[in-house]
Amino acid sequence: MSYQAIKIVKGRGGWGKGLVLEPTAEKNVVLSVTGGGIHPVAARIAELSGAEAVDGFVNNIPDAQVLCAVINCGGTARIGVYPKKRIPTVDIYPGEPGGPLAQFITDDIFVSAVTPGEVSLAEEGAVAIGSETTTDAAVAAVESGQAPRAAAVQATGFMGFVIKFGNGIGYFINTLLSSGRQALKLTLNTIIPFMAYVSLLIGIVTYTGLSNWIAQVVTPLAASPLGLILLGVIVGLPFLSPILGPGAAIAQVIGVLMGTQIAAGALPVQYALPTLFAIDGQVGCDFVPVGLSLGEAEPETVAVGVPAVLFSRQITSPVSVIIAYLASFLLI
Amino acid sequence: MDAITWFATHFIGLFNESAKSLTGLITGILPLLIVLLTAMYAVTTWIGEERVTRAVQWAGKYAITRYSIMPIISVIILTNPMAYTFGRFLPEKYKPAFYDSAVSFVHPVTAFFPHANAGELFVWTGVAAGVQQIAPDSYARLAVLYFSVGIIVIIIRGYLTQWITRILINRGGHKETFERFDEMYAAGQIQGAKTEGGVL
Repeated sequence: MSYQAIKIVKGRGGWGKGLVLEPTAEKNVVLSVTGGGIHPVAARIAELSGAEAVDGFVNNIPDAQVLCAVINCGGTARIGVYPKKRIPTVDIYPGEPGGPLAQFITDDIFVSAVTPGEVSLAEEGAVAIGSETTTDAAVAAVESGQAPRAAAVQATGFMGFVIKFGNGIGYFINTLLSSGRQALKLTLNTIIPFMAYVSLLIGIVTYTGLSNWIAQVVTPLAASPLGLILLGVIVGLPFLSPILGPGAAIAQVIGVLMGTQIAAGALPVQYALPTLFAIDGQVGCDFVPVGLSLGEAEPETVAVGVPAVLFSRQITSPVSVIIAYLASFLLI
Repeated sequence: MDAITWFATHFIGLFNESAKSLTGLITGILPLLIVLLTAMYAVTTWIGEERVTRAVQWAGKYAITRYSIMPIISVIILTNPMAYTFGRFLPEKYKPAFYDSAVSFVHPVTAFFPHANAGELFVWTGVAAGVQQIAPDSYARLAVLYFSVGIIVIIIRGYLTQWITRILINRGGHKETFERFDEMYAAGQIQGAKTEGGVL
């Protein structure tokens, strides 16, 4: 039996930088621990690599023989068990490091949200995990008994339906769980720090009376349609707009200040809509070269695109305020 | 002594004011935001990148959809700033206009999809919080209007920037270069072809 190195990358919503695996005479079992039967991902790995797929629920395989484990867990238990034993783990759900064993789930031995489409033959020269380790234990394990042959590839009949149904529910719940984790990570890393900084700023500005002062300057501008259009013209100035842009910091702070003015009754509610556009005419003007290169633009396109966007903005910024002003009559 | 008391009162007062504001933000916006973010992440996982890519490639063909549907889907699914990577499906001459259109949507989108630009929420939330306080009935309508006027504005920006880009190409003597780019695009050598999928 000849063995091939294979490559497994993360699927959509998945985690991990991908695995390269190559079976050896001792390490040649793809353990499918997916609630009975051989999961298609495990079958695909076995087919491409030449290893043998085994149902981990029915058969007991010594760890030393396991090339990789295919699991369906986005939660806390199984997701960490195999990584803890340093067995490469392929999760068919979009799991991420979590639960009590989170510290063992590292990107060199764990990849998630894998479907059969993410399994492919590795390119030449890819180094398989663990290929350099000696395998005395594995040899001993092989001597003690051959790996049992795989049972049926998929359980059929009523049990098959139950397993499929369970897998469906599992996928649903695990996606939600991993989404929740992602949401909280973003909240913790980005949103709460921003709230802390904005709160401190607002606290200083309101307590010192600076807000009244700023309001006195900006409110006359924001208190008439013409003033708002003028504001739109100013933020759209090609030499000003790239400076006002970064992180939308200025637009956000002014947005909060305008909000407090509206709440205090200093500005009519109707002007909320044109204000939103007047304070934001510069959006993205600082980011044009980066944004274009994200779209894989050629250098010539960047050279033409930056002035094109800035000039265009000079016109569309006040125009957007006018449209918003007209639309704001629908607000009342 | 008076001076010290004055200083102490106002020192604490300053931070009390800030803390009040922080409490307001955390109890007011944060819970809603967390559940919304969770739902949106799950939905984008279920829809999947391939399907979105196909829809975006289709939308890139016609000017009207290129500056409406294409940026809207890009921003909602890929979020800021990854949304601009979908520009790679377009001929070079349309890339600046698509960028302008997409980037102009990253704030109106937060009225309904805060996950799409979670780091820059306060343009919308700041103004909207004021409206919520004084005229709660108008809040939902303001959200709808901000979102829909945003769509009208990105269409206008797309068309105008596309037009200005063309003028700059012709005046700047880049005409031959961009004709070559167009031929390469027509021949199927899309710049994006070198990156296989994996944009998410």
